Amino acid sequence: MDIFLQQVINALVVGTFYGLIALGYSMVYGIIRLLNFAHGDLFMLGAFAGFSVLSLFTGQVGFIGIGLALIVSVLVVGLIGLGVERIAYRPLIKKKSPKLNLLITAVGVSLAIEYAVMLSYGPSFRVYPIQLPNTGFHIGDVKITYIQLGIILFTILIMIFLQLFIHKSIYGKAMRSIAIDDTATSLMGIPVHRFIGLTFFMGSGLAAVAGVMDGIYYGQINFLMGFLFGLKAFTAAVIGGIGSVNGAMLGGLVLGIVETLGTVYVGGEWKDVFAFGILILFLVLKPTGLLGEAVNERV
Amino acid sequence: MTPILEFSNVDAFYGKIHALQNVSFTVKEGEITALLGSNGAGKSTILKAISGLVQVRSGTIRFMGEVIHQKLPHDIVSQGIIQVPEGRRIFGSMTVLENLELGGFTQRKDHRFLKQTLELIFTLFPRLKERAKQKAGTLSGGEQQMVAIGRALMGKPKLLMLDEPSMGLAPIVVKDIMKIISQINQQGTTVLLVEQNARAALKLAHTGYVVETGEITLSGSTEQLSQDHNIIHAYLA
Ligand SMILES: Nc1ncnc2c1ncn2[C@@H]1O[C@H](COP(=O)(O)OP(=O)(O)O)[C@@H](O)[C@H]1O
Ligand SMILES: [Mg+2]
Repeated sequence: MDIFLQQVINALVVGTFYGLIALGYSMVYGIIRLLNFAHGDLFMLGAFAGFSVLSLFTGQVGFIGIGLALIVSVLVVGLIGLGVERIAYRPLIKKKSPKLNLLITAVGVSLAIEYAVMLSYGPSFRVYPIQLPNTGFHIGDVKITYIQLGIILFTILIMIFLQLFIHKSIYGKAMRSIAIDDTATSLMGIPVHRFIGLTFFMGSGLAAVAGVMDGIYYGQINFLMGFLFGLKAFTAAVIGGIGSVNGAMLGGLVLGIVETLGTVYVGGEWKDVFAFGILILFLVLKPTGLLGEAVNERV
Repeated sequence: MTPILEFSNVDAFYGKIHALQNVSFTVKEGEITALLGSNGAGKSTILKAISGLVQVRSGTIRFMGEVIHQKLPHDIVSQGIIQVPEGRRIFGSMTVLENLELGGFTQRKDHRFLKQTLELIFTLFPRLKERAKQKAGTLSGGEQQMVAIGRALMGKPKLLMLDEPSMGLAPIVVKDIMKIISQINQQGTTVLLVEQNARAALKLAHTGYVVETGEITLSGSTEQLSQDHNIIHAYLA
């Protein structure tokens, strides 16, 4: 039982990473029905942006350093996400290009980001320039490190903020109405394209947060790390119900748990098989996911 | 007095379909102007051109003297031209109140205006007050039309354009809606009303235009139009 609970704690941490990345997938899909397959690479970029900031510090990196790394990473990656939308996707959407063209473009964007980072930071794994003590506390025999606790609490904070933004602020409501009917939304005087940009910025920023936390948690990063994580996050988004914000986080946690328990009880080499197995199961049996509504009809 | 809206010699296309051919008409400030015509005539296209949803190939659209036909939809709304689109297009999975709040997006800094207008809407449509927290998609057709009209009022329209507000509604509900439109107009808002239901529209409007296959074929005061043999034959018989 304790091994089980210990694994659930570990799974929750991985799950928050999946969830944070899945949020961006889901928000972007919700608003323009685009699967941004370059999204995992924004997570990777976030990790590297944080890497660069933390490298500036000599000696002990405290909360200020981590805070700064998060802020810079969110801003830089957010703006890059915004740029990707402007330069790569918007012209195609304006021309009403087929979905396939958008997907191919997304793959191109993904490769461009990956190899730009490889050229800048090199192809090998980089050690994250921060050493946090591995201390923590015990509940029974289950150990929770302060890093784990910090990651989980910070993610909860982000989710609360996101909920308030989406449900209480007029800007969040505008994002939701664009997802339902963009033309009708423009008839409310709402600048639809600016909100699509904002969605990309927020989604990318959330991926950047996950990237920095991932670097701190695992201690090493690589230019290809976004590929598999991106696919896992996509899986999480589908499990939760793509387009649903709460679903993305729930899907991330579910995936983290399924994967971790699969690793423990069946074997680590089966981990990805589990993850993509449940992706296929959901796509076939319940494409709307756990929390997704039937995709809104567009008029 | 120059009209509040001047629609002059406008041509518009959907691909190769010539949807508007040299269409001209005006809307006088303070009046209700009706655009009548059967299905497919081009009425909605006229409203879409004004709202910036359809490109104008040639001709000009002026609002309060200013050329507007190259502006973006949200800028046109900010100027006070607000459309209640055909089929209402309310946000069904959002609440009635959220729909109204979104309608007030351009006035979001003016809390007093929003509060007063919300109260006005709830006095015009008491049923919406009871259902404020309900998902708009669960309302009846008539109530959804009320949401759509209320949503438009929240944006502080100088020109309120309604595209077939009577569509799909029971005659008794149509009567209610028309009464409300008349009331809104009497409180000072200029109205451009698109209707297939010529009988209802002519009762309400001051001036009317008949649109047929992308062209204006008749115009005049609604008294004149109500007597016109062609109209009686085609739309009122
Ligand atoms: N999105 C569109 N694409 C192609 N043709 C359209 C489109 N919308 C309208 N049309 C055509 O333009 C003409 C005018 O349509 P519309 O303005 O909707 O008429 P009305 O509102 O008077 O019923 C019709 O022939 C219609 O088929
Ligand atoms: Mg129409």
